[in-house]
This record gives sequence, C-alpha cells and structure tokens, in this order.
Amino acid sequence: MTSSLHSGGPLMVLEDVHLTLGSAAGPVNILRGVSLRIATGETVSLIGPSGSGKSTLMMVVGGLERPNAGRVRIDGNDFGTLNEDALARLRRAHIGIVFQAFHLIPTMTALENVALPLELAGRRDALSVAARGLAAVGLDHRVTHYPGQLSGGEQQRVAIARAFIAGPKLLLADEPTGNLDATTGRLVIDCLFEHQARHGTTLLLITHDPSVAERCERQIHLLDGRIIEDRRTAPSRIGAARRAL
Amino acid sequence: MSALSAPQAFRLARRELRGGIRGLRVFLACLVLGVTAIAGIGSLAASVLAGIKADARELLGGDAEVRLAYRPIDAAERAFLMQSGRVSEIATMRAMARTLGGDRRGLIELKAVDAAYPLYGTVVLSPVQDLAAALERRSDVFGAAIDPAILGRLGLRIGDSVKVGAAVLQLRAAIEREPDAAAGGLGLGPRVMVSAAALAATGLIQPGSLVTYRYRVRLPPGSEAASWAEAARAAFPQAGWQIRTFREASPTLQNSIERLALFLSLVGLSALLVGGVGIGNAVGFYIAGKTATIATLKCLGASTRLVFAVYLIEVLALTALGIAVALMLGALIPVVVTPLLAGVLPAPARLGLYPGPLALAALFGLLTTLVFALWPLAGVGRVSAGALFRDTIDPTGRRVPPATLAATVLLALGLVALAVGSAQDRTIALWFVAGAIGAFALFRAAGAAVVLGAGKLGRPRYPELRLAIANLHRPGAPTAQIMLSLGIGLTVLVAVALVDGNLTRELDNRLPAEAPAFFFIDIQPDQLAGFAEIVRATPGARFEQVPMLRGRITRLNGVPVEKAPIAPEAQWALRSDRGLTYAATLPAGSQLAAGAWWPPDYHGPPLVSFDADLARGMGLKVGDTLSVNLLGREITAVIANLRSIDWRRLGINFTLVFAPGTLESAPQTHLAAVWMSPPAEEALVRAVTERFPNVSAIHVREALATIDRILGMIDDAIQLSTLVTLAAGMLVLGGAIAAGHHRRVYDAVVLKVLGATRGALTRAFLIEHGLLGALSALVACILGTLAAYFLVTRLMKIEWVFLLAPLLWTVGLGILLTLVLGFAGTWRALGAKAAPYLRNE
Repeated sequence: MTSSLHSGGPLMVLEDVHLTLGSAAGPVNILRGVSLRIATGETVSLIGPSGSGKSTLMMVVGGLERPNAGRVRIDGNDFGTLNEDALARLRRAHIGIVFQAFHLIPTMTALENVALPLELAGRRDALSVAARGLAAVGLDHRVTHYPGQLSGGEQQRVAIARAFIAGPKLLLADEPTGNLDATTGRLVIDCLFEHQARHGTTLLLITHDPSVAERCERQIHLLDGRIIEDRRTAPSRIGAARRAL
Repeated sequence: MSALSAPQAFRLARRELRGGIRGLRVFLACLVLGVTAIAGIGSLAASVLAGIKADARELLGGDAEVRLAYRPIDAAERAFLMQSGRVSEIATMRAMARTLGGDRRGLIELKAVDAAYPLYGTVVLSPVQDLAAALERRSDVFGAAIDPAILGRLGLRIGDSVKVGAAVLQLRAAIEREPDAAAGGLGLGPRVMVSAAALAATGLIQPGSLVTYRYRVRLPPGSEAASWAEAARAAFPQAGWQIRTFREASPTLQNSIERLALFLSLVGLSALLVGGVGIGNAVGFYIAGKTATIATLKCLGASTRLVFAVYLIEVLALTALGIAVALMLGALIPVVVTPLLAGVLPAPARLGLYPGPLALAALFGLLTTLVFALWPLAGVGRVSAGALFRDTIDPTGRRVPPATLAATVLLALGLVALAVGSAQDRTIALWFVAGAIGAFALFRAAGAAVVLGAGKLGRPRYPELRLAIANLHRPGAPTAQIMLSLGIGLTVLVAVALVDGNLTRELDNRLPAEAPAFFFIDIQPDQLAGFAEIVRATPGARFEQVPMLRGRITRLNGVPVEKAPIAPEAQWALRSDRGLTYAATLPAGSQLAAGAWWPPDYHGPPLVSFDADLARGMGLKVGDTLSVNLLGREITAVIANLRSIDWRRLGINFTLVFAPGTLESAPQTHLAAVWMSPPAEEALVRAVTERFPNVSAIHVREALATIDRILGMIDDAIQLSTLVTLAAGMLVLGGAIAAGHHRRVYDAVVLKVLGATRGALTRAFLIEHGLLGALSALVACILGTLAAYFLVTRLMKIEWVFLLAPLLWTVGLGILLTLVLGFAGTWRALGAKAAPYLRNE
C-alpha cells in the first residue's frame, strides 16, 4: 500500500459555505462559513462530535444539500450554477458515496446494485464490470444475493464496490464502519483505502475513530459548523496507522 | 388459542389498534365500497318492490281484474261481476289523434273509463278538477284528460281540441297521476283518457278492433281475491277471460325489477371481490409492516396462534366497523335514488329499513374479507423472532398452513353458496361465480406470467426500460395484484361496453335496412283495397298485410295452462292475449324447424304452426294439440309444424299461425307493415288516417325509441354499477402503489445519489406503469370480449359483432389510470430531498 502524498490542483473548493435548516425549535445553523480546498488524490478525514455538521458538509459536497450561502466547486463545476439533474449527472460521473447505513436497494441483487451507476450512464458492459467490482471486494460468491441476505460487512463492501465502479474522482464516505464491529470495520476500511490507492481517488472520510482518521493525509476537525483545525498527518503516523489496522 | 389466551389476544389487539389504522385505510375503503353497493342495490330493490306491493290494488285498479280482448262481457258475466262487489269498466286501444285542421297527427293510447274509475287511488289532474268533470260532454264535445306529451307532438295547448276517430275531444286537463298506469303495459303513445260515451262516439269500436276490455272489481271487506278468481273461472270456464288479483298486479314488472336488481347486485359483488384483493393486499402490507412487533412478541414468548389471533381480532374489528358504515350508507341509497326514479316507477317506493338486504350485504362483506384476509394473516406465522436481527426481503410467497388453506376454501364455498342461494335466477348466479373464478385465475396467471416474462426478458439497452421491466419482477413487486384488481374492473367495463355496443348497433344499424317504417293496425277487411290503393300511390312504398286476431292459449294437449308445467322463458306467452293469424304459405322471416307446412289450398281440421322456442318451453311437439280461446270460443288445433322465427327482422310475424279454413269467418282486422322512405311518411299517414280514422299508424322508429329509452335507463344503471367495480379496482391499485411508496421514494433517492436524473426516473416510472396498464387492459379485453360474446349470443340471442372502439377505449383508460395513479404515487419520490433519507441520525 502506498503512502505517497499527492499534490495535484484543487479538486474540491468550498468558499464560506453556510447552511441553516429549519426545525421545530427554530432555524439551526449547521454550517457557519466553511472554507476548504482539497487537492486531487488527497485523503482527508473529517472528524468532530455528533451534530458538528460533518454529514451535512458531506451532503453539500455530494450535491445532495444546497448551501444557503457560499460556493462549492468540484473539478471546476460550480454547484450554484447546476440544477438537480446536472448535479445527478456530475455525481454519476465523478462522485462515489459510501454511507454508514449502506443504502443498497433492497429489491436488487448485489450485482445489480453495483452495476446501477454504469447502467444509468448507459454502459452496456455494466454487469460484467460490476461482477469484477464485486470480485475486487471479495464478494464474487454473493452476486445474486439480495442485501437482506448479506451481513453488514458484506453489504458495506457491496456499497464500496458500487461507489468505485464508475471510477469517480471523489469518494465521500460517511462513517462507513459505524454499523460494523471492529474486525469487520477494519476489513471494510482496508478495502476502502485499497480501492482509493488503486484508483488515485480523492477521499473525504467522516469518522469518529482516531486510528482511521490517522490513515488519511489530512485531518479536518469540525465543531459547531466551523473548521477549528486543519492539519496534515505526519507521514510516519500514516504508515503506523495503516500497519496497525 | 386456549381459553386463557383469548382475553390476552383481545388486550393485545386493543393495544395494537392504538397505533391507528393507517395501513388499513384501503382495507376499509374497499370493504365499505363493495358492501355499500350491495346493501344499496338490495335496499333500493326492496323499497321499490315494497312500494309496488303496498300499492298493488291501485296498480291493478281493483282487488281483481277480468280482461278480455275484442269483446265486452256478456249479460251473465256482467251479472256475476256486479254481485261480487263494486265494478269499474275500462276499455283501452291504440288510436290516432288528429288536429282539427288535420295537419298533425299522432298515435295515442286511448283509455275509456266509467264513473266508478278508479276503484282505488285517485287520478290527479292539472288544472285541478274532478275526473268526471274533465271527461263530461259539453255541447257535443267530449272532454279528455291527457299525457301532456301529446301537446308538444300536436302543437296544442290545454283547452284545444283534437279528433279521434269520428269524435272531437277537448283536451281539458293534464294527467299528473294515473294510479293504474302500469297495468296498461308498454305505451307507444301518450295516454288520452275519455269517458265510455266518448269512445263510442269515436266509432273506433268495430268488429275485430284491437280493444281490450278490463273489469276491475272491488270486493267487499273480508273477501279473498284469490278464491273469488277461482270462483269466476269455475263459473265461466269458456269465457276466455284472464283474471288477475292484486297479488299478481304486475308480475312482469316485479320480475324485471328483481332481475335488474340481480344483475346490479352481481356487479356490486364484482366490486366487492375486486375490493377483496385490496383487502388482502392491505392486510399483507399491514402484517409486513408489523414484522418488528411480531418478532418482538415472539421473542417475549407469544405463540404464533396468539399473534394470529391478535391480528385476526384487529381485522374482524375493522370489518365490523366497515360493514356498519357501509350498511348505513347502503340504507341511505334509496333515499337519494328514489326521487330520481319518481317518473319511472309505477308506485312510489316505500322508504324504510329493510333488514334482509342489509344482512345479506353484511354477510357478503364478512365472508369476502375473511376469504381474502386469512391468507395474508397467516404471514404472522412466517415472521420469526430472528427477524429482529436480519432484514427480510419478501416475507410473502411461502407455504400457507394447511388449516388456513382449508378455512379459506370453506369460506370461499360459503361465499359461492350465498351468491347462488340469494339470487333470483340461480343459473345466472352460477355463471357469474364460474366467470369470477375464471377471471381471478386468469388474471393471477397473467400477473405471474408478466412477472416471469419480465424476469426472462434480459436486460434491454435502454436504461429506463431496463429499470421499468426490472421493477415489474422485483421481489415484492405489486405487479400481480395490480393486474388482478385493475384487470377485473376493466373486464367488467369491456363486457358492458361491448354488450351495450352490440345492443345499440342491433337497434340502430339493422333498422334502416330491414325494418318497416310503419305498422298500420285495425284495418277493416273492407278498407283493405283502399289502403292498398293509397300505399301503391306513394312512390317507393311497399307493404305486407295479414289478417290479425287475438286469442289466449288456454290448453296444451287438453291440460289447462295453469296446470301445465311451463319453463320460465315461455311463461310470457301465457300472461296475456297473443296476436294470431292464418296463412296459406310459410310467412317471411320464418324457417320450418319441425313438421311440414300445409298445402296452400288446405281445408280440414284446425292445424296450427307454433313458435319452436315456445313449444320447447311448453313441452310441445308436432302432433300435439293447442287450444286457443277466441272471442269466448275455444278452438283446438293440431300442431302441424314448428317455426324458428327471426323476430329481429321486425316484419310481421306471429307465434301462432293457423292453417286456412278455421279463422276466416271470425271478426278480424288487418295488420299492415309498410316500407318506405322517410320523406313520404307524413303524407302516407295523413292519407290513410284521413280516409280511415279508425286505422292507427305505429311509427316503428318512435316505438323503438320508447323501448330504447327504457333500455337506456337500465343501461345507465348497469354502467353506474360498472363504475363502482372500476372504482374498487382503482382503490386496490392506489393501495398497492401507496404501500410501495416508501420503498419507491427510497429507491428514487438512492438512484439520484448514483446519478439518475429526474427525467430518467420519470421515464422509468411511466414505462413501468404504462406497461402494467396496457397488459392488464389487454387481458381484460380478451376476457371481457369472451364474457360479452357469451351474454350477447346466448342470453340476448342477438347477432354478435366485434367492436374495436370499446376495446381501444379500455386499453387507453387502463393505461391512463395506472399512469395517473402510479405517477401520483411516485411524483413525490421524484422531488424527495435525498438528505433526510441518507442521514445516519
């Protein structure tokens, strides 16, 4: 596994992003002026207590939530100028997402779930590519199984295969081990980083686990909707963390 | 469940119901709709029949009625009637009314009444006046009370006069209520009521004129009408009269109402059965949504039987609620509908609570619910405590416990027994049951075939099509339920539309080609030459004429008809007088079915040719004898042959045709059918009726329009009931789509996260629902066409024509309904914000 740092131009730029959501108790300021640049190929962990705005920030970066103010640019595409469908197409081409709750479609087999992004892009070889993707996460024996017939770890590996299948430039992972036990979690994280390294994908990873965060080149600490710390992980610590896991 | 656990089950069910019935709204809606339809139709029929029974004496015009064709009663008969009680004498016939200037004329139903009329009820006139005053003679002019329809036809007003035969009648009042109107049968023209003296003054009563004399008797209190009728028959066995008591005031009408009610009830039952699918689906979805609760209960030690009992109690409680609401609504239907039928019904309906039809509807509701709900309820047995630890994909479609299966079969048999046992015509009900079972089996099979076919279709290149086809066969997809519910609704629609289309076509299209323009009745023998002269002088006109008499069939092989076994479909021929004729040659529009036609110059003992269908119903064959009472004289003839008669030709034909040599000397008139083009019609009718005021012209198109109006009303009632079935289908469809809504939104969100555009999702949904609608409609077209073919050719016995338009309409409607309902259900899925579904919190 490589630990070399990538130093390309910025893939992702956030400028003074604000997001307020309505609630029964009144408006809640989730993001309060987040500015951030992430270079192509960089691995970044997003840490912070519950309610600090990590998931919302990830939704914003994924084009699933629109900020009230500020700019979001991914690979030169300004989200403010894109409608919902254009954002969907952008995701299809450039962004993969892995959720804590997997979010597989329960009525589709593992193979069909993985093939979906390619099918939506009109790829005729979607199924064969998906089969290879499943094999790459060690699930070639589970292709015809439905999510309900898979364990949590297996479901998350299907989700990782699905997220990587279209060769995204950016991978967003929201606590991918949150629903898994420690051993399974380690396997899943290994799988994730292995794919990231193989494809040179930019990774933005939410985690509560410091050891997982240390595997990333950069750690951003979020509190009350603001970035309170943005630091590079020492290369020696990255190596140690990867060996430890 | 042991006795100990019964209270426990009730307690748990009560607690469970605290959570509300959100998932079971479709259950309630389907049940309420179906039971309301059946209860409403039953209550309506009961209140209409009760009205007829309550006013039976008014409808008949007395406690008993003696009816005679052609001749009034003789002195001895009159003496017998007069000593029986109070008697009212009435004569009815068809005649022509002409304006005094002679420029307009129209067929009327003339009714001459005496001073005693009506014995029961009252005639209401407008402007308000006494009937006697309205009809009295004032300086050579008789008065008449009329159906206001005549005013418009002849361009007259109240106070103007018309000529009927040789008499001038002043139209003094409009009839607002004629208590015995229904006793006259089908009226082809407006009613004109006059005094007996006025009828005599018209000069229309001539030998052989088609006059019916009716004598109504009001018996002294305490007398039994039936025994009086027996005594009258015994006293004058050769009178040839027909006696009816108030208890059989309107058997044809009652029969028709009961038959119509049966058809409507069966359509209502279709709605309930379609709703049953919705009930089953709703229970299935409800149980599926309760997986966690059931698993928890089982984790805590509840047995499957206890859990089953809990949910069965819930279903029964909701069934009771649904049925109660439906019975209330059903009981109110007559209140709403009877005012709309005021002009149609012979007697006002008796509004009230009729427990019979309500109980029947409740039983139908309960049995249907259980038949459809037990199976999905058995799903509680398939939920294991382990479900708490692992998702299940599709809990349905596994083995059903034998006890549930047996109970469902028994309940279904109970439903069949109830449907057949409660029907007025069991054969029709049995056909319905067979049809319903066939339709359910076929649509189930079609649904399974579509699911299987969609699975085998492979993966089309177009992603939206691939997604749509995949959605049809995914585990838990409602494809089969939607096809079943929508399909049956559409099948009923196709069948009704095709039957309606064939009937309309039969009445409309066949007429111009084959039907005569007019029938002229009451042509005296000495007027025949003059009549022929007028017709021949009309360019393009041709006519057929035959002598016509009327008589009543009294004996079959010497056995009085009252004692002979007669099939129901042949009884109409014995209820009143039949027109009859004599002929040397086989009439046009007939084919010999058995026996041989007599030689043209036959002279010998009486021979008769009889309708083959009626002969079958009366158990008669060639060589048997048939007795007919003609003007008090009984003629017994040997059946020489049987004819298959094509009544659709609308030419002249009679069920009874005698050989020459028997009837020539009897008083008779001639009946003529005239074929001609419409422009010459008016002039011909004027010429004939001007020269022969006693001759009446029946305009075939107008007469058929009268029949058409009645058929139209029946048709409307059936169409309305069809809509109820379709509404049930839509409810089920809506329910199935709503049940899958959450999953669909979730799928849409995940698909959007993976890059699907709203356009792509819309196209996929449209293709999926369009395919479902089109496939359901296609099967419905096949099945509906088969049902319609059976009804048209076997029951109505008219020519079958395949009509494409109703089928195209149905396919279009099917696609539209699924698209609209499906899309309404998924529209929110397209606009759903992804974030709330994807958050971990």
